[in-house]
Amino acid sequence: MRLGATAVRALTKAVGEEHVRFTPGELAPYRRDATPLFTGHPDAVVFPADTGEVAAVLGVATEHGIPVVPRGAGSNLCAATVPSHGGIVLVLTRLNRILELSRDELLARVQPGVAVARLAETAAHAGLLYPPDPGSRGVATVGGTIATCAGGLRGLKYGVTRNYVLGLEAVLPTGETIRTGGRLWKDVAGYDLTRLLTGSEGTLAVITEATVALLPMPSHSRTGVAYFGSLAEAGQAVSAILAAGVVPATLEFLDRKCVAAVEAHARLGLRTDAGALLLFGDDGPIEVVAGNMVRIRTLCTEAGAWETTLAEDVAAADALLAARRCSLPALSRLGALTILEDATVPRPRLADMVARIDEIADRHGLHIATFGHAGDGNLHPTCVLDPGEHGAADRAHKAFAEIFAAALELGGTITGEHGVGAAKLPFLADRVGDAQLALLRRVKQAFDPAGILNPGKLGS
Amino acid sequence: MSDIFDKDLLQRCISCGFCLPACPTYALTGDEASSPRGRITLMRALEPGELAADDPALVEQSSFCLGCRACEPVCPAGVRYGALLEQWRDHQWRGRRRPWPARLLMGIVARAWLLGLQGLARRHARTRPAPAGPSLLLGCVERGLYPGVSRAAVRLRPELAAPSRQGCCGALHAHNGDSAAGARLARTLGGRLPGTIVTTAGGCAAHLAEHLGRDRVREFGEYLAEQGHRPAGEVRVAGRRARVALQDSCHGRNALGVHRQPRQLIAAVADYVELPGAADCCGAAGTYALLRPHDSRRVLAPKLAAIEQADVDFVVAVNPGCLRQLRRGLRGSRVRAVHLAELLALAGGNGPYPPGRR
Repeated sequence: MRLGATAVRALTKAVGEEHVRFTPGELAPYRRDATPLFTGHPDAVVFPADTGEVAAVLGVATEHGIPVVPRGAGSNLCAATVPSHGGIVLVLTRLNRILELSRDELLARVQPGVAVARLAETAAHAGLLYPPDPGSRGVATVGGTIATCAGGLRGLKYGVTRNYVLGLEAVLPTGETIRTGGRLWKDVAGYDLTRLLTGSEGTLAVITEATVALLPMPSHSRTGVAYFGSLAEAGQAVSAILAAGVVPATLEFLDRKCVAAVEAHARLGLRTDAGALLLFGDDGPIEVVAGNMVRIRTLCTEAGAWETTLAEDVAAADALLAARRCSLPALSRLGALTILEDATVPRPRLADMVARIDEIADRHGLHIATFGHAGDGNLHPTCVLDPGEHGAADRAHKAFAEIFAAALELGGTITGEHGVGAAKLPFLADRVGDAQLALLRRVKQAFDPAGILNPGKLGS
Repeated sequence: MSDIFDKDLLQRCISCGFCLPACPTYALTGDEASSPRGRITLMRALEPGELAADDPALVEQSSFCLGCRACEPVCPAGVRYGALLEQWRDHQWRGRRRPWPARLLMGIVARAWLLGLQGLARRHARTRPAPAGPSLLLGCVERGLYPGVSRAAVRLRPELAAPSRQGCCGALHAHNGDSAAGARLARTLGGRLPGTIVTTAGGCAAHLAEHLGRDRVREFGEYLAEQGHRPAGEVRVAGRRARVALQDSCHGRNALGVHRQPRQLIAAVADYVELPGAADCCGAAGTYALLRPHDSRRVLAPKLAAIEQADVDFVVAVNPGCLRQLRRGLRGSRVRAVHLAELLALAGGNGPYPPGRR
């Protein structure tokens, strides 16, 4: 769609001439986000300064029937911020202040454009922990991670973003500004709209402020690594650890292909003959952490671990965690097109799921390596391709469709933490069923009767 | 399909966005277009002709980028952004489209005899050529603006030969849209200075390493560390050990991975203070301070605030452009900007005092 002259004037008036973009070159960088193979064509990009300007932009959009796609840093992996239907990309990076950090109340009030890492560092300065820890924490914004309910490496023990959102300020597409929840840990007045907006992927309202819960910073942490002959044995170790009542902060795995790629890239001295690598770690009071480390190592050994090692100091722990952190970089060097996917199965089915992924990859002649969060059954099968190879992307799409079907068959889901966006929408009905899908659409209708907020995504 | 860019380099980016928080111009605007990922999207639109080189956004973004390459060390996919930027500017800034101050400077520094003339007025280090090296790069700008730097360097390491007729390394050309001339000048200089080339300019070091091979080039602090140089003496101010901070050279750090060595050398002669953002670009960025003075000052502003806040006596630069930028920014301040070589010479008791003057 193209914007009319009246709409252009109204948008310019809403945020000021300096903060609107209309030319093809200025719009081009907003065609896509971090999701491979998805692009759209925005007609305008606007950078509001505050809640009032967000409301003004939505007012213009409603009046002229223009789609609006809210965007933070555009680091999501489900094409949630791709302007599939054109329209306005509403960039919230100018709302970038931490408004309040309260040690007494263990909370922070932040604007949506603040990077998650900046919030976490500011909290750490005050001796507090903001636990949500997605891999993109350096770039991803608080608003974006709330809109996608981002997960991360600490999900098992600490939960995910939704567990830390106490309240939101949001502008509805109809122009009203609402405040849900607030500074209260207990508040059951009304439907839990805070939770509904968390993970709504910019389809219901535009988040303009968030109140988030913080925790006291744990005093100690330790990290270790265990090698197994097979992922099945690593999976048994994970089950045994949880059954023993230990809920560690870190429980990450790399499959054989991943270990090989990481070792070839970073030369960390990993054992490439192993079938799986399990990273474990915990934080808390020193004696609790020490006790948990002993129990985890014992349980790993009982499950058949070839060897377990504990990092002696912070630097050594960082070196171990580097193996997990550089999985994506290492894999992405194997081909120019890297598709990082996301599926979750019940914990005991982790090894079955990786076996299914391997079988599907082999059948389609694809290189798919898998790493992920063993503690919460969340896998990241990552496909590496040469984009020049004819039909490679199509084969990858077919393979992933089979992978999501397999996850559902094992009692899992099509996405654990990346979101639905435009990328997973075709699979959503398989996960939630027709009745729930119809309800989602009615919810969307209630918030956004004109259907202007992020069309082509959730609720469409 | 045109071939403005090396196809493999352009394909490398996986668009994850991890470069955004490292980018100084993205920090100023919050606009994807002024981030490395956004600029690569623009390059990808330019390559097949979807956007023309005279599109205002391409003109603006190819020039707004500092070329600091802070996006490279944080890139999971190993994108060689610096190389892409050179290719972009080769196309974008060809011929008359190149800003005139850059054209003028490039014309001057490409002539070794013209550079040599500076020596008539400025007393930089000079010795006979050494057939086997190691040699000190005098630099096209540094020998004229800060001749004391090469003198200090040679005092600290007398084995360094500093022949006057050596020419320019060509980094200026490579960064301003003429990478072919940049490569040619680098090779010519490599012929004139045999053996290891030691340079007090991080930008030159990175450019020479690209064309002559990493083995032939040493950044000055890196060279000292490798030679096991033990800095003599101590820098004192008002009867106490001086407090000294460092401003990294972007290319020294991001392209060559040199950052530990200058810190250790400073710590040997003074109390080292790590500035928040020491690794971030100061806004000098070669010709950038000349071509975009307003943006250059915007990038510098938070750094000046951090320097004043840190209550240091000196801030050390390891690149002449940064030195100039910091000296201009710190006019009227009690803090002095000096080159690493000058600081170490001062500690040894045979440097100029007060340092930071020409």
